[in-house]
Amino acid sequence: MNLLRAWLKGLPAYLWSGWGAISSLLLLMAGWESLNGLYGDLILPTPGSTFATLYQLIEAGSAWPELAVTARRALSGLALAIAAGSVLGMTAGVSMTAAMMSRPLVTVLLGTPPIAWLVLAMLWFGSSDGTPVFTVFIACFPVIFMGALQGTRTLDHQLKDMASVFRLPAHMKLFDLYLPHVFSYLFPAWITALGTSWKVVVMAELLASSDGVGAALAVSRSHLDTSTTLAWICAVVGILLAVEYLLLEPIKREVERWRQLG
Amino acid sequence: MNQALLNLHDVGHAYGLKSVLDGIDLSLEAGQVLALVGPSGCGKTTLLHLCAGLLNCQSGRLDNHFVRPAVMFQQPRLLPWKTTRDNIALGLKAAGIPRRERLANAERIGAAVGLDRLALAQFPHLLSGGMQSRAALARALVLEPDLLLMDEPFSALDIGLKAQLHRLLLDEQAARSLAVLMITHDLMEAVRLADTVLVMAAEPGRIVHRFDLNIPARQRDDALVHQTTAELLQNATVRASFGLSAAGAGDCPHRPSMLSPGMASFGAPANQAAPAQRKGFGC
Repeated sequence: MNLLRAWLKGLPAYLWSGWGAISSLLLLMAGWESLNGLYGDLILPTPGSTFATLYQLIEAGSAWPELAVTARRALSGLALAIAAGSVLGMTAGVSMTAAMMSRPLVTVLLGTPPIAWLVLAMLWFGSSDGTPVFTVFIACFPVIFMGALQGTRTLDHQLKDMASVFRLPAHMKLFDLYLPHVFSYLFPAWITALGTSWKVVVMAELLASSDGVGAALAVSRSHLDTSTTLAWICAVVGILLAVEYLLLEPIKREVERWRQLG
Repeated sequence: MNQALLNLHDVGHAYGLKSVLDGIDLSLEAGQVLALVGPSGCGKTTLLHLCAGLLNCQSGRLDNHFVRPAVMFQQPRLLPWKTTRDNIALGLKAAGIPRRERLANAERIGAAVGLDRLALAQFPHLLSGGMQSRAALARALVLEPDLLLMDEPFSALDIGLKAQLHRLLLDEQAARSLAVLMITHDLMEAVRLADTVLVMAAEPGRIVHRFDLNIPARQRDDALVHQTTAELLQNATVRASFGLSAAGAGDCPHRPSMLSPGMASFGAPANQAAPAQRKGFGC
């Protein structure tokens, strides 16, 4: 509840600080527009026509359902990865043996390209929701696991000694000692994983599903419809930016207030 | 005499093959203040960690019958993500004291060690080193311990603060017959606070000298402390343990004050020795 109140209170000032970000995005638009001048409408339509297409898609009612399907798949895969990765990573971080044993396994997972997992997932789950959800999970899990592992391992042993001398019970060790420290490793990992989840889910849908943004992209590609393609890309990236900067970043600022005051 | 509640009998400890403690015998009664002094690296901290239960006793016997021990470490070891007030209340929270009560206690003890409300509301890294040490002392004292283990607790403080916290510690100690085992390499601090001073020597760490002070700590004045410290430093065993040359200061019968030559050269310009000395001060 406190977190929600702080989030709402900090929002206006935070949004005001977003002008810099908006101006850099506008520079990107300008570059895009000038490339359109070089290559023409078929290769790269103008930002204006792209957003007009996006508006039409929303007006026609086809955008939100597809985005909702994609978001559901990406977020369920991400939620599974966050839950499993954070818990297992922290558990592994507490034990030296588990940390040493899990590291090479995680490196294997990180090194396997998502497209390879996608092929396996298509064989295992067919064209159901399981394919994109599993691919997102397996692409995000190692990133979060490593964040949690690193965070837990880097906790100062002097503070651990202090905690055991002051007889902190297990739940206090978790909430007052480990989590505040691990959070500063975990949260960037969550944000990275969020980006990965959106990228991977669109790729998985493009190859394996009949609905969602990925499938819509496959259709627009087959019609050589570049502006619809770009409209879908803008929609996906726009939602990612909104979630990261409007939701996650303010939460991070609030939780890590002790660090910023230094 | 009271019965000793902390007993160490022939305790030894080794890190790998390197023996750091050997044949330590020690006992501590309720309300007794025991100071361990010795050179750096003689195993003082290891001994304290053994008493605090942070290390397992490898050889010998260690019995600790104190019920509520508290530790003040060499570094403040405050949690950086908690305000100073919450840090002080940490041990109370662990003991399950309700929030309102533990914060009120933390404020009271915080005020006693000289931390104002502003300092209590801040995160520890915004406080000076001295204030962090005081917060660490407050965190230990707020638990109303019966045994306080301290590892060079006041080494980061200036002499004024040090004296203030010494008084606070002695008041707390007398009020609740608190037993204190403190480590220091400051002989004068040991002589000021302790009922018994144990001198340790290194390689391996062992107790080489015991010194009992009969006058209660709160009745000792500066002159007595200085004189006793000087006497202790004359002792051949103590000198050897700190690696001081065997020839004590005592072999120079007529000894001027250390400050007088320099003062003379400034205060009396007619002094014949002054020009030569002035060169030294010229820069």
